Amino acid sequence: MTPTALHGPFIDRLLSGRGIWPAVPAIIVLAIVAVIPFMVLLSLGFSDVVSSRGVIISQEFSLRHLKAALSDSLYWTTFRRSIGLAVTTTLLCMLLGFPVAYLYLIGGKWTRRIILVLTIAPILTSGIVRTYAWIVILGGRGVINTTLMQLGLIDQPVRIINTHWAVLIGMVQIHLPIMILPLIAVMTRHDTRLDEASANLGATRLGTLRHVILPLATPGLGTGAALVFTLSYTTFVVPQLLGGGNYLNAATMVFEQVVYALEWNKGAVTAVILMATCLIGLIGIAALTNLATRWTRAGRS
Amino acid sequence: MPGSASVTTGGDSASPIVFIREIIKRYGANTVLDRCSLAAHEGEILTLLGPSGCGKTTLLRCIAGFIQPDGGAISIDGADMAQMPVNRRPVGVVFQSYALFPHLTVAGNVGYGLRMRGVAKSDIAQRVKAALASVSLSGLDDRYPAQLSGGQQQRVAIARVVVLQPRVLLLDEPFNALDAKLRGSMQVELRHLIKQLGLTALFVTHDQEEAMTLSDRIAVMRAGRIEQLDRPDAIYDRPTTAYVADFIGASNTWYSRVDGGLVRLPDGQTVSTTHSGDVKVMVRPHNLVLHRASSERAGSWSGKLVFRRHVGAMMEYEVQLPDGQAIRAVGLHGDQPVEPSPSESVTLAVRNPAACMVFPAA
Repeated sequence: MTPTALHGPFIDRLLSGRGIWPAVPAIIVLAIVAVIPFMVLLSLGFSDVVSSRGVIISQEFSLRHLKAALSDSLYWTTFRRSIGLAVTTTLLCMLLGFPVAYLYLIGGKWTRRIILVLTIAPILTSGIVRTYAWIVILGGRGVINTTLMQLGLIDQPVRIINTHWAVLIGMVQIHLPIMILPLIAVMTRHDTRLDEASANLGATRLGTLRHVILPLATPGLGTGAALVFTLSYTTFVVPQLLGGGNYLNAATMVFEQVVYALEWNKGAVTAVILMATCLIGLIGIAALTNLATRWTRAGRS
Repeated sequence: MPGSASVTTGGDSASPIVFIREIIKRYGANTVLDRCSLAAHEGEILTLLGPSGCGKTTLLRCIAGFIQPDGGAISIDGADMAQMPVNRRPVGVVFQSYALFPHLTVAGNVGYGLRMRGVAKSDIAQRVKAALASVSLSGLDDRYPAQLSGGQQQRVAIARVVVLQPRVLLLDEPFNALDAKLRGSMQVELRHLIKQLGLTALFVTHDQEEAMTLSDRIAVMRAGRIEQLDRPDAIYDRPTTAYVADFIGASNTWYSRVDGGLVRLPDGQTVSTTHSGDVKVMVRPHNLVLHRASSERAGSWSGKLVFRRHVGAMMEYEVQLPDGQAIRAVGLHGDQPVEPSPSESVTLAVRNPAACMVFPAA
């Protein structure tokens, strides 16, 4: 038998490293760290388990935990708060991030370098460290309160830490670089001759920004929004530390249900709702980005 | 040498639309425009021709206002441009690869300038239609630039600026993005279009053929200044410097000495000149005639034919002289009773000694 007869096209492809084979290791890792735990999560959240002394006696599909969650008003307020926080964070990051990206676009070599360093440096430090830094700044004896008191503007410390505002400030600061990076990627590819053409055709700087730069940056804004929304909607560290344990969002709720209450089924259902609503949010952002792109693209002659 | 010495008006006495006086632009120690002066007249197509780095694009960008010159003055239609912002200058720029807005349709691109000027919507639609018709692009209103051919993109870029009725059209190497086959026909078409619209155009290129096809006048640029400004045929036939002669068209060059106001050519004929001392003699390939050494018209200037080829109706020859220099000659196909073959001995003669160009040896 000749070697070619032994090697079918399948083996050939395997040996030549074409097709999906190079991706196999990553797929295996993903299956282990993502798909299997997700299956466990689903089975925990959507089944009734009768066990005795740690031995499972029976397990069957059930919507009991989901029904319980949906009829609990705490779930509704918590998820409403989470969505509100994530949406506000995303919008503020867009609002604050775009001018930075614009500055990057029109800036010289050094402006660009400084913006890049200032954007990437925070990503390289741990989110927990950055969040603790905010405690130092926002705390009762923190930088802001001390300064305000020394200036005589206030008599006693204003409560900033452990409030909704502290969480929002922290969220925006932590997630801003994630918004700026895709925008910078768009700006790096931006053809500045388009801006010159726009000016030559009579547009002011603002006109060029509105009619050329913004429309072409819309996909970058969409990518940034999707990333910031996903991360801020599912974040745990910032609300936990800056909210002082009494700011409940979806992620901290899962944590409390599993770690403190040891209610694994409840925690699993909450996590599944979190994932599902996050997916819906992402689809919404994609649709909005499409709409915005089409709106700015309209020829409107 | 004073900056204005090299500028000639080409016999046109009308007051210039674009007037550039002793423009200077420096980038660090590098002087890109060195007291460069230029005047363009109503309705003419003036080409800035030169190798890359000669400052031609910089000059165009100064006129458009994209960069600020370090000295000198630019005026358009008598108005000084020094304080005039880019978006208020009466010039329309056609960019090297057109810089069409990829997110706007053809109609959106052409209507952009009108929109920025606050023209009423109904007027915009009408004027866009007319502009597209003038460049033969009617019916392509709703296409995006990516869906157009290179030639169509170029016409959108032109329609986008002419719809605003600028005083001057500035074109920065507008054929670079087109393939060679399309270029020739587009050059003729663009010239007709500009003439038909009655526009004044300043046109930047490094391609001498393009300049010859398109221009009413050519300004040959060198190291930030204009070396010669004249009609295309005058630039070709009567270059004022060896640089221009070398840059425009092919030339054969050798060095000689002036003796009693005459330069002796290698074939024994003489040319009169006002120069003295050591000179550089340049002769166009088509001013040389070639004979087989065996024919009775054989002369004293001989060499060996090393290469010949047909270029359309023309024959191109390369002759190697005994001293190793290669001489190029061009003749009509069929001029020779018997075509000399490579490695055959041939003799050369100058057809018209008066058309030889004599410059002081550098």
